[in-house]
Amino acid sequence: MKRRITFIQGPAAPFDPHQAILSSNSFAVRNLDAAAEDRITITTDQDKLPLELRKVFDQSQELHIRWATEQPFDALAPFASRVSPGLHVHYTPRISNQSSDALCDLLRTMFGAEEGNGVDCMIPKDSFTTPPPLSAQFAASTELQYYTRLPTLQHLVAFIRNIICHDHECDAMAGSLHTADSVDIDYDRASRTLTASVFWSTPPVGGWEEDIKKPASTVDKVEVGILGAEPNVTPDEIKMGGLLGVVGEDKKLKPTMFSFPSRHHPLAESAKYSISFSQPTGLHPEMSISIPHSALDRPPAPLDATCALHTYLTLPSSVFLDQYQVSTTDPLFLKEHNLVSLRAFSGETDLEAPDWAVELWGSTWLFELATPSTTENGDPASNWTSTIPLHLRYLKPSQSGYRSAHVPWPVVFWACVSDDQSKMGLNPFDRTNLGYDGLFGPRTLFYQLHPASEQLVEELSVPVLELEDGQGLFQSRNIEIGTSIVIVLGFLWILTKLIRVVWATGFEANEVRGPDHEKKE
Amino acid sequence: MAPYRIFTIPRVFVGAILLRVVFLVYGGWQDANSAVKYTDIDYMVFTDASRYVAKGEPPYARDTYRYTPLLAWMLLPTAWDGPKPWSTLAFAFGKVLFAAADVVAGWLVLQLLRRVYRLSTAKALRYVAAVWLWNPMVANISTRGSAEGLLGVLVAALLWATLTRKAILAGAILGLAVHFKIYPFIYGASIIWWWDAQRDGAPPAGQPDLFTRAMEFVTHSRVRVTLSALATFVALNGIMYLQYGMPFLHHTFFHHLTRIDHRHNFSPYSTLLYLTSAGQTGYHFEALAFLPQLLLSVVALPLVLAKKNLATTMLAQTFAFVTFNKVCTSQYFLWYLILLPFYLPSSSLMGRPKLGILAAILWVVGQALWLWQGFNLEFLGLSSFVPGLFLASLFFFAVNIWILGIIIQDGGLNGDPIAMARKVHWED
Repeated sequence: MKRRITFIQGPAAPFDPHQAILSSNSFAVRNLDAAAEDRITITTDQDKLPLELRKVFDQSQELHIRWATEQPFDALAPFASRVSPGLHVHYTPRISNQSSDALCDLLRTMFGAEEGNGVDCMIPKDSFTTPPPLSAQFAASTELQYYTRLPTLQHLVAFIRNIICHDHECDAMAGSLHTADSVDIDYDRASRTLTASVFWSTPPVGGWEEDIKKPASTVDKVEVGILGAEPNVTPDEIKMGGLLGVVGEDKKLKPTMFSFPSRHHPLAESAKYSISFSQPTGLHPEMSISIPHSALDRPPAPLDATCALHTYLTLPSSVFLDQYQVSTTDPLFLKEHNLVSLRAFSGETDLEAPDWAVELWGSTWLFELATPSTTENGDPASNWTSTIPLHLRYLKPSQSGYRSAHVPWPVVFWACVSDDQSKMGLNPFDRTNLGYDGLFGPRTLFYQLHPASEQLVEELSVPVLELEDGQGLFQSRNIEIGTSIVIVLGFLWILTKLIRVVWATGFEANEVRGPDHEKKE
Repeated sequence: MAPYRIFTIPRVFVGAILLRVVFLVYGGWQDANSAVKYTDIDYMVFTDASRYVAKGEPPYARDTYRYTPLLAWMLLPTAWDGPKPWSTLAFAFGKVLFAAADVVAGWLVLQLLRRVYRLSTAKALRYVAAVWLWNPMVANISTRGSAEGLLGVLVAALLWATLTRKAILAGAILGLAVHFKIYPFIYGASIIWWWDAQRDGAPPAGQPDLFTRAMEFVTHSRVRVTLSALATFVALNGIMYLQYGMPFLHHTFFHHLTRIDHRHNFSPYSTLLYLTSAGQTGYHFEALAFLPQLLLSVVALPLVLAKKNLATTMLAQTFAFVTFNKVCTSQYFLWYLILLPFYLPSSSLMGRPKLGILAAILWVVGQALWLWQGFNLEFLGLSSFVPGLFLASLFFFAVNIWILGIIIQDGGLNGDPIAMARKVHWED
């Protein structure tokens, strides 16, 4: 088992050498103001794993779980990448097209199975979607994809405490997940490794207070580091400087400075976007993505790269896009919505099915957004807005007449593509399998805009059939009885009319006296 | 100097064509200048399907293409990918075809009204123009690219072939119409019952025993219509099945039998269908919805009315079929519109203007109430399923039932206008 704990301090955060002390058998930090990543790597054929996990890994080629909180957080270098809030699962079964129910069983116990706020899949074949074929050119994409809203990790904490932990230290570590901003779990059959990374953008109140002991076994290793971003020399690289050490091996922390290429780069704090819906939303809500004009400058990518603004939507099955409407090349439509084009989509695209008839978890959509031409550069404080027309599926009846559809904020980023098709250099903090990265070439650089809100999930009110229970007039029984009575009465009314006709004139043609008639006689 | 008359054949038809040309040109302008398109979304489906066909793929490669491949084949010119202004014109080919079908349908109705119903040309033109040729709704639907107008010409042609005693042709049109849109099969029942030996000039039957009557039922014309209809229907489906296999059967026919239809529409069943498809169990009244619908439109109405007045029977059948259907949208109203010019001139709705106006007002109020609730739901996001849409659809159903009752009374108790016309003609 390997563990790596990295504290990342912003340029303004204070640091005193006494705040981080490495001794022969432990590492201690005291009220340290920093973001932190805790990464644990397990070799699956050496370390013992609980049965539930082993069963799943035996059937998996690759499994990548990404979770992000619904609250906004600073994604600073080198942890600049973002995904929409919620639980994302990217999965390739060991034998293509064969997936058992073990993965869904595990996901349900790990993350909870509450309706609307938890895992609802039964078998991947039915619920998981297939990312667009475009991504096949990029090695780092999986065969199947799943998403669900997941506001908290309380089930994961309980799962770890019950299944994995044997001591208080482990329980405490599991508890720290409650305040995490993002969690990654990766299993890769090729390297037989399981990696779990947890990221906190801010320290607990009063700063980090950690005592990290030297590992009990000599095979295990614990690395620690306190780093800060330095001004980078080349635009596609990130440069970090600070202190590094191995607990139990090094006598003290060693100063260090290193740089590495990075896929994801943060933009300036002012580069924000916000999501809203024009009211009332009705059954066809329109999502607006607003970005201040000042945040629309080309990112500081290498000059030979071509940069374009994109958004990647992760939509639960209750909300959908009409692929024929949004894949249009009609310039008037695209101009009205400030879109350039739909680049890729996957998942449930049925235009008619109600939500209860949809088995797939939902759909994903990658759009290239238009940016203002240089001539229409307006007031830098004003907003540039792109809009995306959504539609709501019918949801089940409820007592109030309304149900909620939760739409996670999409991610918005610049993707800068260069002609260079070689692989990206090694990055100790690299993060892939985010859904959208697989839709671009391997050397694409992503510059992330920051979501500006206190809550990164929009709640849409969906009108549904209002069902009164008990004594109400419009309970489901009465609706059926009412419909039946009206239709039967209507039917009988028509029958009596017909009977009166038969009574008066029979079934044959009505007699019309005239020469025609006489001739026949 | 003769008084200026609007209702002359050239004026009515030039007007009808001009109206459609204006709609087509305006539609082209709106499509080119507004993000809100004039062209119907269904037209995009048809033309996408044609494009697949042009590439040698099945039309069903396009999602929601739920029609006969004939339609995609007919619109093949729209898939032509030539230089700019010409390809835009080629794209409009289908709309021009649908609009032309409208005008031809109007022509057929006019011919029948003049020659078979013996209405004066001016009177016949007034009804055809008011109901069909100059009706902006009809012109709008076809120029937006909805294929419903094709049904209009097929039904008009079916009635024309029948009333002019062209049995093989009538059967072929019936087979084609059913292949196109299923519902015209109801006309088969009334046409066959109507076409007894007397229609072909045999002397009126006396009161023979049941066996003789059963034997007499099998007439040459009836056999011809039936075989021709079956042969056309089977041949068309056979060709399409050989060409496209199961997807053809699934999308053209089975889909319409298995769809859930849970979305709000004018049908009195829509609230109940939403409930039951969402898993609220009751006694599944909706499972029997086909019973009143088919009993009336296929059995009772043809049996009682067809020999008395064929066109009115077909109108009543369509009205009953649409009113009792599990799903009903405004395009369905076009189905009975084409038959109105035959019924209205001798109807009590025209004979007693107060009754006619009341029927029109109630029908419009029923629509308006429903549309108001639908707007609240669709655009304001208000939960108007109950009582709003539920009661509105039941009220609309009741209005339709009342009007259907009037149509039945008129068709059943009045003399057949065709026979009356012949009598008047003979007396002249």
